[in-house]
Amino acid sequence: MTTEVTLPSTSASPTARQVWTRTRGITLALVLLLAAAVAIAVVRSDARHGELDPRSADPYGSRAVAALLADRGVDTRVVTTLDEASTATGPDTTLLVAVPDLLTPGQQARLHSAFARSGGRTVLVSAGSASVERLAPGVTADPATSFGSTLSPDCELPAARRAGTADTGGIRYITTRLTADECYPSERLSTLLRLPAPSGEGDTVVLGAPDILLNDRLDEHGNASLALQLLGSRPHLVWYLPSLADASAAPEEGERSFFDLLPSGWLWGTLQLFIAAGLAALWRARRLGPLVPEKLPVAIRASETAEGRARLYRKANARDRAATALRTTTRTRLAPLVGVPAPQAHAPEALLPALSAHLQGDGQSLHTLLFGPPPGDDTALIRLADQLDALEREVRRP
Amino acid sequence: MAPTGRAALLAALGSLPVGIWEPGWTGILAVNAPLAVACACDFALAAPVRRLGLTRSGDTAVRLGDTADLTLTITNPSRRPLRARIRDAWPPSSWQPGTETAASRHRLVIPPGERRRVITRLRPTRRGDRRADRVTVRSYGPLGLFARQGTHTVPWTVRVLPPFTSRKHLPSKLARLRELDGRTSVLTRGEGTEFDSLRDYVPGDDTRSIDWRATARQSAVAVRTWRPERDRHILLVLDTGRTSAGRVGDAPRLDASMDAALLLAALASRAGDRVDLLAYDRRLRALVQGRTAGDVLPSLVGAMATLEPELVETDARGLAAMALRTSPRRSLIVLLTTLDAAPIEEGLLPVLGRLTQRHTVLLASVADPHIAGMATARGNADAVYEAAAAAQAQAERDRTAEQLRRRGVTVVDATPEELAPALADAYLALKSAGRL
Repeated sequence: MTTEVTLPSTSASPTARQVWTRTRGITLALVLLLAAAVAIAVVRSDARHGELDPRSADPYGSRAVAALLADRGVDTRVVTTLDEASTATGPDTTLLVAVPDLLTPGQQARLHSAFARSGGRTVLVSAGSASVERLAPGVTADPATSFGSTLSPDCELPAARRAGTADTGGIRYITTRLTADECYPSERLSTLLRLPAPSGEGDTVVLGAPDILLNDRLDEHGNASLALQLLGSRPHLVWYLPSLADASAAPEEGERSFFDLLPSGWLWGTLQLFIAAGLAALWRARRLGPLVPEKLPVAIRASETAEGRARLYRKANARDRAATALRTTTRTRLAPLVGVPAPQAHAPEALLPALSAHLQGDGQSLHTLLFGPPPGDDTALIRLADQLDALEREVRRP
Repeated sequence: MAPTGRAALLAALGSLPVGIWEPGWTGILAVNAPLAVACACDFALAAPVRRLGLTRSGDTAVRLGDTADLTLTITNPSRRPLRARIRDAWPPSSWQPGTETAASRHRLVIPPGERRRVITRLRPTRRGDRRADRVTVRSYGPLGLFARQGTHTVPWTVRVLPPFTSRKHLPSKLARLRELDGRTSVLTRGEGTEFDSLRDYVPGDDTRSIDWRATARQSAVAVRTWRPERDRHILLVLDTGRTSAGRVGDAPRLDASMDAALLLAALASRAGDRVDLLAYDRRLRALVQGRTAGDVLPSLVGAMATLEPELVETDARGLAAMALRTSPRRSLIVLLTTLDAAPIEEGLLPVLGRLTQRHTVLLASVADPHIAGMATARGNADAVYEAAAAAQAQAERDRTAEQLRRRGVTVVDATPEELAPALADAYLALKSAGRL
């Protein structure tokens, strides 16, 4: 029978309750922040939603013009894919391409071949240089846009003459087609072009700005008139809004990327490897306890000041001071060896005779060595140090 | 909680069936769902960390350079076996650099309801107190796919004492002390000043030590014997200011001073003197006073263990006042400080008179062998400028020492290895000269 000994708990990990107590403030703050973000997004989301969409009643939508056309017996159909747009073309149909610049070059070529032979009307709204040359051959977009937005017709096109001034200012076009009607010019380049099809039936209208179709601009100037005349010439209107979900936007055969060429097994296998890498990262990232901090001791070398002084001497070329220090040290060491008391070690008249007697040497050269002028250059200083060493060795020799 | 390398490896192997048989979300799910379930089971089956019982035992003090063994006893009260990796965390200076990962981590298996011991071996690199940090336990499940992790706090303190490497000099200095003490046959007049006893004349004794009065009273010729003074007071003063922080070789000056102080204390306590210790910079850092001869060395070592150099200028006035207050009787005051010109001339010299008035003052300073090496450098301009700077520094030290000697202070200036024996010799010389 063993007695159960309960040890006092030493655990330092937080319990679930402590974790909740510690994090609830931040959790609450995050929830509030998220709610506020959602609320603000909902309140302010009307800005440019559904631009040029004939179903949208927003300021930038085009529901008004669609409604006016419906009153005049023109039915509006919205399409979002290239295939629908291509099959909908026909002699009694107007095709409006809302943002032609969103189409890939391949889509533009297919769309052009579809409407060029249809005999209907095609309206290209603010086609930039990325699309206008393929969709309307013979027309190029000028890189500079017009200054004003409201322009006057200045041409023989009946629709334009009836409408009068309108907000067509935007992209300006240059055309080489002699049969084209050039209207609403700004600085001699027109912002509205009507190009009759070479086959005779049908035409293409290039419009420099979408303003005449927008809900909040429709009632200004001759916008409504121009829009109704351009779009109402056929009983059917197909409104093409290019979308990213369109499968025909995918690259053509021969232009496929590297990933299309890989067998799908490789791709999915790699995805699984990424999952494994994530697990490995978690495995390696989890530390076995935190680092232990410690106060580090000061690490200063005691000889730092002497080294610093040496470098200062070197930098300032203080040969005089260096030579004085070396000579003083040698004199201090020599004096007791030749029997001169320490206080008189630096007096030439006491030290030199004693040294000369000890060495039987030349008094003059000893004077120059121990009390002479400072050396002129570094070589002389090095020589001086060596000579002082030699002198000391000689005195010490028994 | 954390996955293990095994879980990551299984996930990586899972890319083969996904890639070959079932490329798609089905394959991904078919591989990862069982793995996730296995990990969850493993997590649930791992022994709980929070309920483990941890206790510690082992060494509480260790001399610098030796090893301390600490035993951690871990009890597993749960009904599941504990398979764990354990990290017994201590500050980094508790181990030699590079060995701490191996020394602090343990791997063990504890069956349900049993306990096991692991031994953590410390080998500190610096003096001072080492406090145990937390113990982290990572408990693995039976499959080894997932682990839960938790920490425990098991406090313990190991005091790392000064190494006292100079104790190798103690036997020779004690032999010298015994010579002074009259226990050996070499007993000449002048060795000590305290009258000890009379004994019969032996041919060879100094005739000057014959006590004629005593000889007259008895038939044989009697000589006086002398012995050195006993029961003198010695105050060791450690300067822990900024000048003690400079490193000479691999250790700060303070460590060399401590080593010398310990040898002197050991010697003096054998010689029957009383030893006190005072450590001071701008305030009192340590004070050991009134210990008996047998107790003085352990208490000195304990007090020195936690001393660290402070980066402040020493307050010499306060230090002198404190020293005077600590030693009311006539004492030998051993100042373990520096010979740098500025702190001595501006700090110590003005207050030195108050100390030398009543006490004998001995100043010991740690010299830097690197300066001596610089002084002999020759061969190119850099070396000669270094030699000049070293000569200048040395001359300044000598001048300061000379100033102190003129005021009656005994000065010992030696490299860290030689300081302790030199200081002991200076003490013995003072003792034999009867100046204590």
